[in-house]
Amino acid sequence: MNATPVFRRILVAVSWSGLGLIAVAVVLSDFLARAAAGTAHIGPLLDPPSAQFPFGTDQLGRDILSETLHAMNVTVVHALPAALLAIVTGSVFGFVAARLSPPLRLPLRWAMGVFAAVPALLLAILLIGLTERGYAAVAAGLAAAPIAFVRAFDRAQMSGKSVHAEYARATGIAPAALLRRDLAYEVRDTLLATTARAFAAVTIILATVSFLGFGAVPPHRDFGLMIAAAKPVYVQAWWTAAFPALALLIVILLARLAAGLDEGERA
Amino acid sequence: MWRFALRESGQFVLGLFGALLMAAAISALSSDHRGVPGTFAATVSRLLAFLQLDFGSSAISGTSAAQELAAHAPVTLTLVTLGLLIAVLLAGPLGLLLSSVAMRRATAPVIQIVSAAPVFCAGLVLAFIARKFLGWVPGGGEFPSVPQILHPDNSVFRLIVLPGLTVGLSGMAAIQVALRRAASETQDEPFRNGLRRLGLSVMEIDRVYIAPMVFAGLFASFGEVVLALLSAAVVSEWVFKCPGVADLFVKSVALHDWNVAALILFFFAAIVLFANFAGRLASEAIVSAGRAA
Repeated sequence: MNATPVFRRILVAVSWSGLGLIAVAVVLSDFLARAAAGTAHIGPLLDPPSAQFPFGTDQLGRDILSETLHAMNVTVVHALPAALLAIVTGSVFGFVAARLSPPLRLPLRWAMGVFAAVPALLLAILLIGLTERGYAAVAAGLAAAPIAFVRAFDRAQMSGKSVHAEYARATGIAPAALLRRDLAYEVRDTLLATTARAFAAVTIILATVSFLGFGAVPPHRDFGLMIAAAKPVYVQAWWTAAFPALALLIVILLARLAAGLDEGERA
Repeated sequence: MWRFALRESGQFVLGLFGALLMAAAISALSSDHRGVPGTFAATVSRLLAFLQLDFGSSAISGTSAAQELAAHAPVTLTLVTLGLLIAVLLAGPLGLLLSSVAMRRATAPVIQIVSAAPVFCAGLVLAFIARKFLGWVPGGGEFPSVPQILHPDNSVFRLIVLPGLTVGLSGMAAIQVALRRAASETQDEPFRNGLRRLGLSVMEIDRVYIAPMVFAGLFASFGEVVLALLSAAVVSEWVFKCPGVADLFVKSVALHDWNVAALILFFFAAIVLFANFAGRLASEAIVSAGRAA
């Protein structure tokens, strides 16, 4: 967003606070939830939201509020390592690769450019198909990596052509020292934003692969699997899909806003 | 311009070769070779077969992978084309409406909210509205052919409008992102002040100098827009039960039909690489024409 700096800073701070609250909810999900994950027949089948069941119940009589809390736990616990993997194999590796010698960096950029031309969702599905559903987080992280790699590579190349880089080279500073310096500044300036951006991207991928039946394994349902399970009944019982979808939207939105995405940037 | 076109063509061809290599490596999974040397040999063998347009056969149906792709591709291409049309129709007026700096800043959080919604959630919301308020049953018939879509009756319209809208909304978000990026890049161009001092109105500067730059920026991001459309088509086909390529891909991976999965990945990558290539050429042509003018 290209909003005024003060408004933007407030928005980013509020978003990080929101993510902090989500982290607390994730840690305490077993205490906050009325029932253990997947516990059926807590209440009547497809009971609409009420004082007793604020989010209603699903077709197996599960409390949707409890299930949403557990799903948030599963989603965040899977998305965090996936985001870390996307940052290391995408952003950091891309930044370092841009400063390698041409015989190494050009093939890397070419290969990652090819992977970035495939929808990340299909890459994630392929990787899960090659391994198993338990590796969905790894698959999502690796699927998000090519676009992060290309973005970091291009940024590092631009910074390699900057005035300070020219000056450093002219004064005899070794390329490795310049890379260490640039990488340190890159991490300092963008780590939080990059983490939030990667988190948003992998959360979307993880939820979608689960929705398509390739992600989380029952009884550990994430948002995607909850929404997929609600698909046959959600027209008659809107609450079965609406609350998990809303929770998913809030997690992604907070992560995107915490990243302080500039105008025209994608997570 | 010609040098640029030549360089871009070279990158496009190299990209296609890379996509073919990736597809060959995936297709090699269906062979019995094990270990690194065996897999490498199988990949080379598959690559040579691919270069002779032999893409292997489906492990499920026994028909050739190319035939499987040809049978399902029209549905996906129809959805993507429809989505692109809807995206352009919606994004154009919206882009004009939000073109001022103040409007862009005011709507930035709204755009973030819209683009934060996963495509499958958007698809389910549309299906919900259609069933609850219009009484439609999505995915209740065979996907219509292109001639039927060109002259749609009520049933054809019902079958294509929801998946088309889902893909279109996703494409619209991608176009908005590209437009906003291009607009914000031109916002602080130093020539704006110079032209103002020469007596040109803001409207004239925007129309004659800024609009071509924004369009050039949009075309430069065309690959990104097509990638978003294809990603949305994958989900849309699943949500609305359209028998397209993406639906076939999901089933192929689930059943380890690697020849078909490999060909589909190549198909998607080739479309995006071509969109990238064509978009960058169009962008450069607009910029060159602007310079010449």
